[in-house]
Amino acid sequence: MIKAGTAHWLLHNVKNRGFTAWLLAVALTLFYLILYFTEWLTPAARAVGLDGKWTLYGLLYTVAIVWGGIHVIRKYRHNRYQVVRTSVVIAVQVSFAFSIPQLLKFFHQPEYYFSYLWPLKLDYLTPGYIFSLPLPFILYSFLGSLLMVPVLAALFGKRWYCSWICGCGGLANTFGEPWRHLSDKSSQSWKIEKVAIHTALATSLLLTALLFITWGAGKSNPAVARFTYGFQSFYGLMVSSMLAGVAGVGLYPLGGTRIWCRFFCPMAALLGLVQKFGRYRIRVKENMCISCGLCSKYCEMGIDVRSYAQANQSFTRASCVGCGLCAEVCPRGVLRLENVRVRAPQEMSLIQISPMPPVRQAG
Amino acid sequence: MHYVIIGNGVAGITAAFALRKRAGRARISVVSGESEYFFSRTALMYAYLDKMNLRDLEPFERKVYQKQRIELRHGWVEDLDANRRVLRLKDGAEIPYDRLLLATGSVPNRPDWPGLAGLAEGVVHFVSLQHLAECERLTPTTRKAVVVGGGLIGVELVECLVHHGVEVDFLVRENWYWPMALAPEEGELIAQHLRHHGVRLHLQDEVARVESGSDGRVATVQTRQGKSLPCEMLGICIGVRPAVDWLRGVSTPPALGRGIQVDRGFRTSLPDVWAAGDCAEFQRADGAPFVEQIWYAAKRQGELAARAMLGDAVRYEPPLFFNSAKFFEIEYTTVGATTRLPDTARSFFHRWPDRDAAIRIVEENGAVTGFNMLGSRWNHTVLERWVGERRSLDEVVARLHEAQFDGEFGRVPLAGLRAAFAGREARA
Repeated sequence: MIKAGTAHWLLHNVKNRGFTAWLLAVALTLFYLILYFTEWLTPAARAVGLDGKWTLYGLLYTVAIVWGGIHVIRKYRHNRYQVVRTSVVIAVQVSFAFSIPQLLKFFHQPEYYFSYLWPLKLDYLTPGYIFSLPLPFILYSFLGSLLMVPVLAALFGKRWYCSWICGCGGLANTFGEPWRHLSDKSSQSWKIEKVAIHTALATSLLLTALLFITWGAGKSNPAVARFTYGFQSFYGLMVSSMLAGVAGVGLYPLGGTRIWCRFFCPMAALLGLVQKFGRYRIRVKENMCISCGLCSKYCEMGIDVRSYAQANQSFTRASCVGCGLCAEVCPRGVLRLENVRVRAPQEMSLIQISPMPPVRQAG
Repeated sequence: MHYVIIGNGVAGITAAFALRKRAGRARISVVSGESEYFFSRTALMYAYLDKMNLRDLEPFERKVYQKQRIELRHGWVEDLDANRRVLRLKDGAEIPYDRLLLATGSVPNRPDWPGLAGLAEGVVHFVSLQHLAECERLTPTTRKAVVVGGGLIGVELVECLVHHGVEVDFLVRENWYWPMALAPEEGELIAQHLRHHGVRLHLQDEVARVESGSDGRVATVQTRQGKSLPCEMLGICIGVRPAVDWLRGVSTPPALGRGIQVDRGFRTSLPDVWAAGDCAEFQRADGAPFVEQIWYAAKRQGELAARAMLGDAVRYEPPLFFNSAKFFEIEYTTVGATTRLPDTARSFFHRWPDRDAAIRIVEENGAVTGFNMLGSRWNHTVLERWVGERRSLDEVVARLHEAQFDGEFGRVPLAGLRAAFAGREARA
């Protein structure tokens, strides 16, 4: 039941797909369309002393994360995991995703974002681009993407990146907090997710392979090069602009905050595959679940956490970003995020579990 | 074969799924008057608090029932004829059955306070979907409310009302909050927490008389201690009893006590009729009747009753008691016996000075027998094991960290507790 008063009604309306949510979604979408496809923001950026629209965007993005992050820390101040995690998200955005690239630019170095890695940022393993950078950046790109990312994911799950470091996740978990519950929890959406995200991963891998081939043998195969560059600009438009920006953030108030992360991010797909067979899991305390469903409701990735909790089934889902909100909202303390050495095979199951748990109690 | 279950609460639905697992092509029907689909009763408060929609309270996707071939019938059962093996619904429809499970749950206790019967409006309970609808209908016109009853449902209703800006007087008959489960110092911790949230908690007081305004709606509650509490809403949360009244007038009533009397195999006195959950009444070895009116027991019983209906030899023996709750922000986990203890039992109690958290460990004859944990998270299965293994209090305190279930970075520190324990040992 909505709390009495206009302010509460408005808040409920904007958080629950009311008409204010639609207005906001239109506004956010328009903002992204203007940002990506016009130069209208350039004069605004110049007017406040910035060198271009992308710096202005970075600044706005950082402000949104800091402002939303402070709100989130206050809201969950009793939960140290949330306080630590959100503090890291804010710190990473302010430093690695904003100040440091600006400083690098100031000192005539490449504008490099250490918090973004391939395949989220495809440029960083695009030979034509990355080999033009000084050696330390090349080393960081290759070692970061190919070594650090999977090793940390195996040890701690994808959360080390998706809910602690990544800017997309950062925005979702701070500015996007009021809409986290809008993610679709149906088993149908899970099926779509599995197809979509692995298609995205395959596409990005294919493009990266083509870029290397073109870099190595493009001169002698102009047809391949033409195809690759066409593919590259199509990917840039569809994936980086339309899916990550316009749909990813524009639809926050309608579809929740992790549409991009859940269905389209190639990095999330890769991390998810490692996570599935790594150490990370959500532990379910036996027989303590009351099926209230707060965990499912507030899962931003649309995982029906309750279906596992009420079946006494610890689990790892590839999409879980380890935000820890399911454990936070659980009124009976049933859930805990863990990194464990050995996991049971059924924890890694790829199918929906049956409504009845395996019987434990003796008659 | 047609299995019919009356009641789509956690006992009934758990039984239905358990039956489906092994019943092959048999028909399974679940009849409910309260709601079309199973919902989590324990989550009613989250709908009231606007944290969830009613649809969110449903633990299973609706298509699951189709997939599992469980037929849902929405309607109240009016008659049970065990000779003809037929149920009749309020709308006149008849449902024949081969095997029947009664899982009708509980209804709230209704006291006979003077003036209560004459009220036209303003009295609420907080157990069913219909109660929730009534609470929500009355809340916008309520500035003050009185909630009676020092148990779990009472505190949930209080939390919801406080959330909606209603001033609440909370009347508890006993000397401290919830003596059924809490020791005085634990009740005091909860009392402080409630008062911190603006709740006016009145201990050792009860309703003497209820008065209505000119519109027939509740206006004042007069208490035994002479307090006069104005209110527009009166919440009655003084426990529940098995929902069996409707069975007294049917063609073939089963044997009834407080609930539907069953043996340890969930069999009622009627042929091919079983009962499980809140409405089932068992007998202890000494002949005393008992009913288990908590979520966990209903889930357990529903599953075992299904097995009994399938022909397994089932003998229900409640496991070591455990339960959980949440009082505003304070989470509660309990295992074993923690109140009404024998004289030989002693308790180690520790309250953290810097947070709303406390634990109490009960020991009897050199072995731990119960735990009351407030304000931090514990793995009750570890605590249960320690009770089963008859571990000593010393050992349990030394190994307490093994049972902690707080989130990462959030473990409640145990150093102070252990120092206090060592100091206590030295004194003793």
